[in-house]
Amino acid sequence: MDGIRLEKDFTALVDDRVADGVFRVDRSVYTDPEVFDAEMVQIFEGGWIYLCHESQIPDEGSYYATDIGFTPVVVIRQKDGGLKTFINACSHRAAILTPRKQGKARVLTCRFHGWAYSCEGRCVRIKQEKEGFGEEEFDRSFYDLKVVPRTESYRGFVFGSLEENVPPLRAALAGAAGWIDLMVEQSPDGLEVVPGSSTYTIHGNWKMQIENSVDGHHVSTVHRVFANTMRNREERDGLTGMARTEGGRITGKVPSGAYDLGNGHMSIWAQHTTPERRPVYKKKDWLEANFSSGKVDWILNRGRNLAVFPNVALMDNPSTQIRRVRPISPDRTEVTVYCIAHVGEDDEARAARLRKFEDFYLTAGMATSDDMAALEDTYLGSHARAARWNDFNRGLHSMIEGADELAKLGGFEPVTSSESWENETLYLGFYRHWRDLMSVK
Amino acid sequence: MARFDVGEMKTSSKDIDMLVEVSDLINRESKYLDQRRWDDWLDLYSDDAVFWAPSWSAEDTLLEDPKTSLNLVFLEGRGRLEDRVFRIETEDSYASMPLDRTVHVVGNITVDGRNNGSIHASANAIVHSYGRHGAQTTGNLYEYILSELEGHLKIKQKKIILIDDAVAGPIDIYHF
Repeated sequence: MDGIRLEKDFTALVDDRVADGVFRVDRSVYTDPEVFDAEMVQIFEGGWIYLCHESQIPDEGSYYATDIGFTPVVVIRQKDGGLKTFINACSHRAAILTPRKQGKARVLTCRFHGWAYSCEGRCVRIKQEKEGFGEEEFDRSFYDLKVVPRTESYRGFVFGSLEENVPPLRAALAGAAGWIDLMVEQSPDGLEVVPGSSTYTIHGNWKMQIENSVDGHHVSTVHRVFANTMRNREERDGLTGMARTEGGRITGKVPSGAYDLGNGHMSIWAQHTTPERRPVYKKKDWLEANFSSGKVDWILNRGRNLAVFPNVALMDNPSTQIRRVRPISPDRTEVTVYCIAHVGEDDEARAARLRKFEDFYLTAGMATSDDMAALEDTYLGSHARAARWNDFNRGLHSMIEGADELAKLGGFEPVTSSESWENETLYLGFYRHWRDLMSVK
Repeated sequence: MARFDVGEMKTSSKDIDMLVEVSDLINRESKYLDQRRWDDWLDLYSDDAVFWAPSWSAEDTLLEDPKTSLNLVFLEGRGRLEDRVFRIETEDSYASMPLDRTVHVVGNITVDGRNNGSIHASANAIVHSYGRHGAQTTGNLYEYILSELEGHLKIKQKKIILIDDAVAGPIDIYHF
């Protein structure tokens, strides 16, 4: 907020020589505390950070306490329906103002000394004000809450920025906006976060979790066991319809792709072999009546993972997920996952969505758990200084500049397109953006 | 007051027999998990058993309707438990090979009531686990619904209230 100062330049950690077929990243980006400290300032305090979903703060005075890097913040729904975000610390002695992570209050009263603030952030009460600050007119507004300079929502997904001088959210989202559209537009009445969440910590760097969220190359190895377990279940129990799992993508050998969506955002997709097992399939007729066939194809027939730089992934597969990433230290990352679903969907679809979520996405699920173990191993391996580089050059030879044919049908504009989700060209966008933010200007 | 006034005791010998039987079942479950005796563990559950860890909606509100809210685990039917054992035994699960070592310390076992042939019981458990990525200890409140099938007590439902908000690293059924 008070200007960004970067003393050390980290540009050299990204070895970007695509013309020579080389794009690689020094593994110290995951392990070096100096890199981490700079990221917290340059990336997390320097641009848009995903905060929460609007359905989590429905009414005037609804609040959601979260963070931007190490800064505790609280998003509050205003009287006019708008959103404001404040530093979640009493202006007096810094105590956290929200008793709970999520709630509703007309006034936030500090439980330490009793000072109080309105939803608009005005300091409305100081205990024993006259005794403490004299009889003469006292300007209490000096103690108003510090406002996070920017709060914007894109189609329900709320972001905030401690840096005032950032582009509007829609522009910053670049090609990711079109991918959020694919998630939002499939539901006539919008999306909502389903009650409940799961939080876990990973012994690994936050970027590894973001990378993993859009890594198609691991799916047919790490999640082979998930596909086999589901096959075993379905044969044993004779399951039909939505009770079955969409496992075709996992074993590979289906059409797939990957996109660098600009500004560090990335996405992957793979073709569903049995899309009728997804809850969204119930909306098929409505979708076909309202959208182009190309867009309907994207919504119904392709599983999609989107990573929005730097701290959230949105998954739209047999189940649907918001995965928010909070860096704690170079070697520790906290992740909270939420199920996001169609408002007003029927009980069968909602239950199917939840059960598919629990099967796959949780730390006690049968896929995310394996992802976590794998990326914890990549963290351990990254300490080897004699083996310095992570290569991200798979698929460079076949990378397409700009949009491929499918992207044009989906209505989004990638920087580059790749013909397979096994390729790693999407990470070029991530690490080039990272490098730009981590360089001395 | 006499320390052993049988007339004042509210617990009948039948109740004590029940408590012993319930305690034995709960203790054996922990032992089988710690000793990785998966088939013996599965055998403690009825075919229609539910293995369930609800999630918290807020600091002090537990979400107890699996149809409408997200759970940390919700396995309906013993087949879903068999899925977990299948996965572990394949040795193809990254998180399960090698398996963490665990020790369940279970206490505070009480029989809380009976209705329609079901027995409601509860217990507390501290589960310590250790694996290649470190150690952790979690606190769990267990709520069991048991019923007698073919002369043996079986678990019809095990509800696990994990009191920790965040857990470190991947966990599985044997960490609860």
